[in-house]
Amino acid sequence: MAKLTSQAIIIKGLWTDNPVFRQILGICSALAVTNLMVNTLIMGLSLIFVTALSNVTVSILRNITPTRIRMMVQTLIIASYVIIVDILLKAYLPDISEALGAYVGLIITNCIIMGRCEAFARQNSVWPSFVDGIASGVGYALVLLAVAFFRETAGFGSVFGLPVIPSEWTRWTIMVMPPGAFFMLGVIIWVVRSIGDKELKKDETTS
Amino acid sequence: MKKIRRFSIYYMFLLTLIFTVVVTAVYEIHVDRIEVNEKIKLQKIILQVLDVPVPEGAEDREVLDIFNKRVKSKDVEGNTIYIATSENGESVEGYAIGLQGPGFWGPVYGMMGISPQLDRVLGIAFYKHSETPGLGGRITEFWFIDQFKGKKIGDIQGEQKPFFRLKSPGTAKASNEVDAITGATGTSRAVERLINKDLRRSLPLLAQLR
Amino acid sequence: MEVGLSAFVIFFAAIFTNNILLTNFLGMCSFLAISREVNSSLGLGLAVIFVMTWTSALNYLVYYYLLVPSNLTQFRYIAFIIVIAAFVQLVEMIIERYSPVLYVVLGVFLPLITVNCAILGVCLFMIIRDYNFLSSIAYGAGGGIGWTLAIVAMGGIRQKLANAKIPKPLEGPGITLIIAGLMALAFMGFSGMIQIQ
Repeated sequence: MAKLTSQAIIIKGLWTDNPVFRQILGICSALAVTNLMVNTLIMGLSLIFVTALSNVTVSILRNITPTRIRMMVQTLIIASYVIIVDILLKAYLPDISEALGAYVGLIITNCIIMGRCEAFARQNSVWPSFVDGIASGVGYALVLLAVAFFRETAGFGSVFGLPVIPSEWTRWTIMVMPPGAFFMLGVIIWVVRSIGDKELKKDETTS
Repeated sequence: MKKIRRFSIYYMFLLTLIFTVVVTAVYEIHVDRIEVNEKIKLQKIILQVLDVPVPEGAEDREVLDIFNKRVKSKDVEGNTIYIATSENGESVEGYAIGLQGPGFWGPVYGMMGISPQLDRVLGIAFYKHSETPGLGGRITEFWFIDQFKGKKIGDIQGEQKPFFRLKSPGTAKASNEVDAITGATGTSRAVERLINKDLRRSLPLLAQLR
Repeated sequence: MEVGLSAFVIFFAAIFTNNILLTNFLGMCSFLAISREVNSSLGLGLAVIFVMTWTSALNYLVYYYLLVPSNLTQFRYIAFIIVIAAFVQLVEMIIERYSPVLYVVLGVFLPLITVNCAILGVCLFMIIRDYNFLSSIAYGAGGGIGWTLAIVAMGGIRQKLANAKIPKPLEGPGITLIIAGLMALAFMGFSGMIQIQ
């Protein structure tokens, strides 16, 4: 596997191989917590934390972990970091912990983390794995924040809880309910893929 | 093959041990803080619904002191009632009762403060629920709970009428009506039900205490 | 403490009014990947129902009879996932041994289920909502049936769409999400059916 520069890894994580709109991973939480931007931000940061540290740990252990049990090992590592995040949230941000509820625990089954461990951290050294974890996590967080931005402004008229739309304008409450989540994510994938495909076509015609 | 098997088992065991120790360490460091968070949270809620002023940004220690000075708890027929006393401890300034019942998703827990004459609401607040964030979860928001402040509690003990009704936002007119939460009909209905149920149950108990 | 929701209401709600996929967004990854046609959707769905019901029951017992008494509730994530993985592994071995036919139909889906966030999600939710044992099983069974209902319906719709002209960037996950949104909208219509006492 060719050695990737840190910059290449970052671009992959944020755009070309974005976990949410390219690989279609981590969708459960992308829909569930994005009706408020502050919850989305904390969820995003939690995922970046878990992905980066899990990647690092898997990478450190990559040469001594027997192949047969690597899935169990990865699950153990990921679950441990998620528990740590859960404890820290409960201790320092109890209200947000309450709002995120079970979705913090569901970070364990978030396919992004397992995906990165399997696809990258297992075969790469520690620093690139760390960068990859951060990049994938940030790629995820940015997409979620975009979805949350539209859902919160349309549905509640606020951004991070601060009202930005005058209250005379009727709120599109549907946006903060499940159907709105599905529509918003579908549209964002549509838009981003259109842009991405145009770029690909441009590359194909120029190369 | 056997060697790899044995190594795998030892490896898994050791790794599990290491991570369990790390997680337990993080937990032990924070468990007290988490418990204190819970306790102070409840105390803050009780002080809030009893309209006992707590300075903005008060430290946990301060909240604890104010609570111990101004609030006494009493058990009446298995229910814990919190009684607010004045600064000098002479007169009763309000009662706080627990609110509890099924919400739309899971149990909802709150407190309601009632005036000493049992005729007005001093305030309500919810401290634990599993409702949808941003929808049913808005029962914790200021605009919702502020509606109840100062509302008259009807003298309707024994009748089948509700003490309070949650109506579509904008249509609440009568003195016992407040705005429900748009898009959260299930939660609004559940909250209406549990407020009425707990008022009906607690008012006679408070009357005993006076 | 009285929760007030009977197990039957929870069962019914998990299928219709609070469908775990269309309302709680659980199990989206396999939903988006497998829902291309009805047969595979049904196969996965049946496997999910089976695993979800059993693991809800098992994890309830593990939580309340093992973790709570020993004050280890912070390890519930690890414990639940181990139970789920072990159960799926066990089921796969049993099916492979005793029914090659069933194995051909269901076997390939079982590994997918271990990482299906719906299974873990249902177990976590039942703890948060304080369900008793019967309600937890009802929630597991209902959740599985609701999930299957959604994925089979989606399979049927996407099969019909196979010949439709969909803009390329929208193909696959994009259109599936929008269809799911419409389904979620439709399912919201069920919410008047349940009166939570």
